[in-house]
Amino acid sequence: MKLKALLKAGVLGVSTLAMASVAAAQDKTIRIVGFGAASGVVGIFGQNSSAAMSAAFEKINAEGGVELADGSKAMIETEYYDDRCNAEEGISVLRRIASTDALVAIGPTCSNVAEPLFGILQAKVDDEGDTGLQFPVFTDVAIKGGLAGISEWVFRNTPSESQMYDDLFAWLRTNHPDLKTIYGGVEEDFAHSRFTWYSVMKTAAEKHGFEVVGEAQWLLSDTNFSNQARGMRRAEPDVVAISAHPFTTCGMLREMTRQRIQPKILVGLTSSSSLETLSGCANEAEGLTIPTSFAPVNEEAKAAAEAVVAKGGQMDLHSASAWENAMILKDIIEAAEIGGTPETLEEDRRKIRDALAELENAPGLLGSNKRLPDGEAVKPYVFVHAKDGSWDVLHNPGS
Amino acid sequence: MDYFFIIDFVQSLVDGLLFGTTYALIGIGFTLIFGVMRKLNLAYGAAALAGTYIGVAAFLAFDAPPPVVFLLSALGSGIIGIVVYYCCFRFTPTQVPMASLLASVGMLLFIDEAVVHASHGMPVPYPSVFRNAIIEIGDIWVRGDLLFVFGICVVAMGVLFWLLYRTPLGLATRAVSQQPRAAALCGIDPTRVNLLTFGISGVLGGIAGAMTAAAVGVLSPIIALGLTVKGLIAVVIGGLGSIPGAIIGGLLVGASENIFLLLRGVTERDIYVMLMLFLFLTLRPGGLFGSTAGRD
Amino acid sequence: MDFYFGLAQIFGVHTLLGLSAYVVLLTGQVSMAQAGFYAIGAYTAGAMTAMFGLHILPAIVIAGLVSAAIACIVGFPALRVKGLMLVVATLAFGEMVRLFFFNLSWQVERGGELFGPDGAEGFRSIRYFPENGWEVWHVTVFIWIVVAVVMAALWWMDRTRAGAVLRAVGHDEVAAQSIGLNLTAVKVGAMTAGGFIAGLGGGIYAHTVTHIEHGVFGVLLATFAIAYPILGGLGSVFGTLLAVLFIQGFLIEGLRFMGDWRSLLFGALIVLAMNLRPNGLLGEHAPRLKSILRLGKPAPDSLETKDAN
Repeated sequence: MKLKALLKAGVLGVSTLAMASVAAAQDKTIRIVGFGAASGVVGIFGQNSSAAMSAAFEKINAEGGVELADGSKAMIETEYYDDRCNAEEGISVLRRIASTDALVAIGPTCSNVAEPLFGILQAKVDDEGDTGLQFPVFTDVAIKGGLAGISEWVFRNTPSESQMYDDLFAWLRTNHPDLKTIYGGVEEDFAHSRFTWYSVMKTAAEKHGFEVVGEAQWLLSDTNFSNQARGMRRAEPDVVAISAHPFTTCGMLREMTRQRIQPKILVGLTSSSSLETLSGCANEAEGLTIPTSFAPVNEEAKAAAEAVVAKGGQMDLHSASAWENAMILKDIIEAAEIGGTPETLEEDRRKIRDALAELENAPGLLGSNKRLPDGEAVKPYVFVHAKDGSWDVLHNPGS
Repeated sequence: MDYFFIIDFVQSLVDGLLFGTTYALIGIGFTLIFGVMRKLNLAYGAAALAGTYIGVAAFLAFDAPPPVVFLLSALGSGIIGIVVYYCCFRFTPTQVPMASLLASVGMLLFIDEAVVHASHGMPVPYPSVFRNAIIEIGDIWVRGDLLFVFGICVVAMGVLFWLLYRTPLGLATRAVSQQPRAAALCGIDPTRVNLLTFGISGVLGGIAGAMTAAAVGVLSPIIALGLTVKGLIAVVIGGLGSIPGAIIGGLLVGASENIFLLLRGVTERDIYVMLMLFLFLTLRPGGLFGSTAGRD
Repeated sequence: MDFYFGLAQIFGVHTLLGLSAYVVLLTGQVSMAQAGFYAIGAYTAGAMTAMFGLHILPAIVIAGLVSAAIACIVGFPALRVKGLMLVVATLAFGEMVRLFFFNLSWQVERGGELFGPDGAEGFRSIRYFPENGWEVWHVTVFIWIVVAVVMAALWWMDRTRAGAVLRAVGHDEVAAQSIGLNLTAVKVGAMTAGGFIAGLGGGIYAHTVTHIEHGVFGVLLATFAIAYPILGGLGSVFGTLLAVLFIQGFLIEGLRFMGDWRSLLFGALIVLAMNLRPNGLLGEHAPRLKSILRLGKPAPDSLETKDAN
């Protein structure tokens, strides 16, 4: 009995949702859906992203919405789906989004969802032999390098880490010519942090004349870093680069303080330039230098950050991308002459994809984002460092 | 063998042994519950974590001093342990062990998610004492805070032994774990003993959680799974139902983990810990101190 | 529509995972190693199609066989212990498998690109289905044919002596031994069968998601594997199927509109379900047409339910 009721509720839940989204298409609205991890240990990414997105769409709607091909105005309607950083759920969510009248999706947050997700999309447009899903995805958060190349339906507005770290080490070289050696610390079992150390930071550091004197590895849930820190202490590096997420970054920084390791410069992972690191270990993180594609350095960025905070989120380099994506999509929709009717849905999605592919420059909060042919972006960035419990702009290459 | 290697080896061993006491505490918790109920409580690590968060909430809200935070963590975890008992074990029939096992899994997911929900998954600073105190013995540095962790864990074990072997409550607990039916006939209320056991093991878990967080200095929901798995391994190596076994097992896991880290690197570390456990199980299924081999 | 087909794919894959644990659970053993076998299947099948260009069917069969062989080898030492010890032993094995793939880097070049597992980066581009013109519903039908075959085989096995033997061991080992059953052979047999099914499931899983990495096959997945049959009830294969529908269909997909409250409800509802139906949603016994027709008579259950320890 109970069982039947539960099952019924489940079926009902699924079908009402599907119906609700169909019904909404009757008004003049454009649906752009976000998805990513909004619960679980990494849920904060999705929550911020969702807040940024809804703040951005609210702003667009308040300014009159978007203009469609026939000259009429449409409001943007948005929703955020939680994929819990799980590949299967991410795929299911995207299929669900594609089954509604959504024009384009913004997400996901986790690189380990992004990779399989992009795999189920059609790899090359107009490839009849490839039955992958044909739906444009404009990624905001999943940052691991080189993912957009998987499918031509994927575009990312994530900062190019290789560019940022290359520039950071070049800047360090110029401003601190006395620094010789670098020691790397990497969270080994997380796709993004691992990739960033081995393929980005290390290469960039070596290119600019730093000698890598050692590397320490640890895992996402490690709680003891004394072995790793000891190796670091003996190497006496001038620079320590930590490619890890806030929890282990803090653990490692504490251990370094304890073992009295005092590198002249501390470099951190892009994702650590968020509030989490500071809430976890503000004292130890003091001086941690990170390149980031968002900092409230101009009026627009400040206003955006305030709007996101009002929505209950935080503006950092990830959620800033979500905001920018919303703004870019508005321009795209207007430029691509979207019909916005159920009949033109397939066509509209294709138009958005093509318009995204053709885009060479897109407006961003810190300046113009350069779009690359493989769907990636190169965004303006600043170097920030932790100072007195907040992120402070250290150097702005753009100014 | 060069000098550095020997130093590293000894240092890893010392760190591992000191840190291993937290695994030992979790192991004791599993063993106690298993002893009286013959059941596995998979929500245990999560309960310990939740208790630790209760402590840290007090720290963030009232700036409570570390001893109060530790105490609140332990008590909070004890209370959550009792809640777990009521939700997963009290009303599921004893002859269906799977039901309570799965219920405790559900509880694990629930508690974990509740913690994440409350904290947004953000790592929060956890107060520690003697954070930067270090005792230097030649080239070997003994961390003051780990010594403190070690000390607290030893005290907790001492209190536990006193409870179990010197009080009527302990007598009742041991009676139920040896012969539940006979104990019931002697007028011992098994429900009360079970409740008490969950409370006590919860407190132990809370202490372990608090000490882990204090040693790292940061608290994040991701430590729950590691504590659960390491605690389980400790209990199995030591022998089910044996408290000294759990202690030795915990220390052994802590030490070997650190040694393997030194010798084989972090990506292979856990493989060897698991392999060690596997060998233990096949060569000595009862564990180090288990009297009845493979007892169900 | 593709969304529902995609959902059905997830149901199918998870049903296979659940069934692999179901076979082992019939003998009373809780195995946390199923995620490990699933991982072996996923990587093997992925390698077969993406690296060596095999067809999907032989690929998943090979994946199943490899998993089964490893399950058999592991079964002998692991099944010397039982109860909690076995839970931990199999957990350790599952983690070992996961960490093995975490460390495994083995790539071959095909058409100018590298294919194969690359350590922590995972194994990407297992795109057999889209590259060979399989529509979503083709894949769904394929998966459900495999699931149906496995379910039918298990259903049939349950009706034969083999099923009775497994359940006999599950209910009372001493009694089973005293009637001359070889406990080790029965348990290892069940483990091997479970390994085969998990291998099939993993092989298909790898192809539905196109990218696999070690993190997927952790303790959580192993817990789900045993959760399906326990939640559904060990009475018949349909219990597992029902539990998969309940968890994947209702708790995960159906409650999605609840935002992040969904994850909270998830655990709470499992706790509730186990308190209300400790023997699983469908119970300890398969629903039989006969007993439904003969409503008046009490079911001859009393003997078996006495002790399931």
